[in-house]
Formats: sequence, C-alpha cells, structure tokens
Amino acid sequence: MDSRNVFAVAAKDIKETFSSISIYGPMMGIPLFFSIVLPILTIYVTMYAAPSIAVKLALLPVANLPANTLNKVSFMSFFSLNVLGPIFLTIPILTATVIAADSFSGEKERKTSEALLSTPISKSELLTGKILASLIPTILLTVGVFAIYGSIIDILSHGSFGVYILPNAEWLLMLASSPFFAAAAIGVVVIISAHVRGVKEAQQISSLLVLPVILLPFAAITGFADINVSFFKYLILALVLIDIAVIALSIKSFRKEAIL
Amino acid sequence: MRPRAMIMAEIEVKNIVKRFGKVTALYKVSMKAGRGINMVLGPNGAGKSTLLRCIAGLYKPDEGSISVLGSNPYYDDAVRKGVSLISDNYGLYDYLSVLDNLKFFGRLYGLSDSEIGSHAARLLKEFDAYEYAGRKVYTLSRGTKQKVAICRAMLSSPEVMLLDEPTAFLDAASAEELRGMLRRMASTTAIIYVTQKIDEIERMQGSITVLRKGRIAGSTSLENIYKSVFPGMTVRVKFAKPVSQELLSGMKGIRVDSANAQSISMKVKSYKDINSTLKLLIDRGAAIISVSYEEPTVEDFMNGGRIG
Repeated sequence: MDSRNVFAVAAKDIKETFSSISIYGPMMGIPLFFSIVLPILTIYVTMYAAPSIAVKLALLPVANLPANTLNKVSFMSFFSLNVLGPIFLTIPILTATVIAADSFSGEKERKTSEALLSTPISKSELLTGKILASLIPTILLTVGVFAIYGSIIDILSHGSFGVYILPNAEWLLMLASSPFFAAAAIGVVVIISAHVRGVKEAQQISSLLVLPVILLPFAAITGFADINVSFFKYLILALVLIDIAVIALSIKSFRKEAIL
Repeated sequence: MRPRAMIMAEIEVKNIVKRFGKVTALYKVSMKAGRGINMVLGPNGAGKSTLLRCIAGLYKPDEGSISVLGSNPYYDDAVRKGVSLISDNYGLYDYLSVLDNLKFFGRLYGLSDSEIGSHAARLLKEFDAYEYAGRKVYTLSRGTKQKVAICRAMLSSPEVMLLDEPTAFLDAASAEELRGMLRRMASTTAIIYVTQKIDEIERMQGSITVLRKGRIAGSTSLENIYKSVFPGMTVRVKFAKPVSQELLSGMKGIRVDSANAQSISMKVKSYKDINSTLKLLIDRGAAIISVSYEEPTVEDFMNGGRIG
C-alpha cells in the first residue's frame, strides 16, 4: 500500500469536507450546541429539580439517601455521566456517518468516482484514505466536544458546590470508546454505500446505529445497565471485535463498481 | 506491466461481455488499438462508455479479457498509471480549487508537487484556463470545467488516453485545441475516442470502429460513412444576390427557399452531387456565399448504413 495515495485521498476528503460551511456547519454546530447547552441544563436541573426527581426515580443511586440529605453533587455526577454521556456518544457515530456517507456515496452522487477510480489508486489505499478522512475529524470533534462539555460541567459544579466532577475514570473510558463507535459507523457506511444510490440514503440507514446508544440513559436510570469502569471495558472490547468484523466485511464487500 | 517491446497493441479487448442485471451492455466485443487515433462511433446506448470503463479498469467484464499495456487494468493498479480517462462528465471536486484538483490527481499518478505545478501551468495556459487555477470548480462554466478535466487527464502524459465525447461542452476554439493536441500525441499515445458525431470522426481522421447495440458492427472509413449518410441529405446554398429561375433551369431536385431566391435547398445522393451542382451554379454566374448542411447524425448512418 502506498501511504502517499492514502494520505492524498484523506487530505482531499478532509479539505473537501471543510471547504464549505454548508457541509461542516451542521455537522459541527449541533454537537457544539449540545456541549454548551446540555451541561447548563444539567446544573439547572441539579439546583432546582434534582431532589424531587431523585425522590421520584427510586432507582437512582442517590435516591437511596434520605431525602433531606440528597446529595446534589452525586446527582450531578450521575446525570453528567449516565444521561449526558450517552447523548455525547452519539456524536462520533453521527459525525462519522455524515462524513463517511459523503465520502463514499458522495463520489457516486457527484460523479467524481469515474475519474478517481481510473487513477492507479488501489482498493485498499482508497478505503484506508477514506476511513482516515472520516475518522480523524470525528475523533477531533468528539475530543473537542467532550472537553467543552466536561469543562462546563466542572466550571458549574465548582461554582455551585466547590468540587470538580470531571474527569473521572468512567468519563475518560467513555471518551476512549468514541473512536471505536466511529469506526463501526464508518464500516457500516462503507457496506451500505455499495447498495444505495446517494448520500442521503447512506446517512439515514447508518444513523440507525445511534439507537442502542440512545437507550443507554434509560438502561442506567432503570437499573438495566450500570455505567461504570467495567461496563466501558467490556464495551470497548466488544466494539473492537465489532470494528474488526465490520471493517473486514466492508473491505471484502467493497467493489469499485459500487461507487460508480 | 509487460515491457513495451513485447506489447503488440496497447489495448487488446477479446470477446468481452458486460451485463448489468438483465441488460447486456456489451456482447462479445473484440478490438485492438495501438498508438494513434482510434475512433469508436455509435449512437446513444451502443455501449461506448461501458467499453471505455472496461478498458479503464473500472468495470470487470463478465466474460472475455482486456489487456492494456500488457496487463489487466481491473486488477493491476499500476498499469493505470499509463492510462487517462476523460468522460462526458468532468469528474472534478466542486469544492476544491482547480489547482487542488490537479494536485490531488497528479499525486495519485505519482507526480511530485513541482512536476504537477509545471505541467498544470502549461496545460492550463494551452487551454486558456490558467486564470481559473485558484478558483473553486463549482464557480466555473461547464466548458471551463471540461477544459480542466482535459488538463487533469493529460497531466501524467499517459500512454493510453480514453476519451468519451471530450468536446461536448467545449467552445469551437478549445475543441480544436484539444483535437490538435490529440493529433500531436497520436504518435506516442494510443487514443480511443468515442463519439456519436460523424463530424467529429471527420475532424479526427483516425481508424473507425462502429459499435451498435453493444456489439462491434465493424470497421469502416469516413468515405463509407458519407456514402451511407449522404443519400437524402439536404444541402443549402446561399447566394450573395437572388438567382433567377433561368439560372436554375434544368437542375433537378432544387427547391428555392425564399421569395427572393437568395438561397436554395437540394437533396443529394452523394458528395459528387454537391460538387457538380456547385460547379454548374458558378459556371452560370451565381455568387455563392455559403454551402451548409445539417451534420449527419450517427443514427442516420446506423439506420441506412452499411459497414465495410
């Protein structure tokens, strides 16, 4: 594999993605908006509604405490990790899906694939370049969004309670799991791109990947899942295996004709 | 890739069949093309673009074999270093600048940035598109995009050039510039030029292979094509001043177009009819200012045409 070809494709795709605000604007805007607004809403809920919510949600860990000693800090920590965390975990999936769908199906839709595939680039160079072009901005955006969300949580919690809640081990492991979510999403997009006509179809089908992640907060609140260090260790292990399977399948199933 | 001395023909297509579902786009197509201009003529849906895509290594034929520069272009990525494709689709990245597009493709062909820079500047200047080097492709006109696409294809000085209606969106001057460039390249490059325009065949003066309904209908010459399409063609002759009925007397198949007899139309059977009629008109003192005819289409040729 010629790494120059891989980087040429990756650089071209990244440049193309960030060449127009109409492409990268919505992709970055929503996560950035979430990273600012959701922590602020969290402190609001913690300050004004946490005790009553905690009492109603008997399964909350903090709800085991006597109502009059309800620990707002514990609630905020729980909420930041178990509720906000999974919401932020959808960012690598959605971002990777948007970029990868545009990268693969976009070549077909914009009729650039013929010129691209007639060059000496190999299938593996093309795939690796495009996977990198989807993965690198996704990881950077996710790290950025986690940094903003974590910082705002800390600023607010320190201002209100004098303690820094984040980062903790679970939060760092959640961040560490994000590239693996992104890689799985990219692999699925590659497989789907071979069977759909355009970017929109590839994005819509691949976006379904967020559904299990969105269910996580409910699983945590209702006690079905305990989002702790062990949970993330097993999750990352499972994602690694899924990534290997999905990427291998995508490489095997990718045909040049698919993006023509 | 085989050494050049061992290559009999740069492109060798043997009995290829290409199907898309139930549709057979190419059936048992065979052809050889060496250095020079090899024209492939056929109407819409004849399989011309599919043939080019197979030769470029984009499609894998269901049956048969293709050899380009001694290798199978579908599996041998390196052989495509010597191959360039210009389709009727410009194939450039809209949100990148012209120069960034050329850099990207040049790098994939293994050129250094300095080589890309110098080749790109020369080609863009030749096609009068240098001023657009920094512009994003989506801001350019269709014709300018096509010029840039041609520059992209020529950047790597390919040994095999595959062209699919390359002059479709070019202005007359740029189209002629491209034709001139291709003629100059023909001694060192195997050029396959597909078109459905008979006048394009006339301008390029290469060997002619006719493709019809996914099959090679045969090889032919320009003379044969015109023999086939001329019968029934209408030629219009325009005069500097109106001609009298007396001047036209005895000339068969002539129709006076306008009330003041400033132009006539005539049905011809062959190019000889045009020559003899014009000679007669000049001898009788007619002041001819133009002779025009509607360019024959490939369908005219296919419908009444014979090949040989």
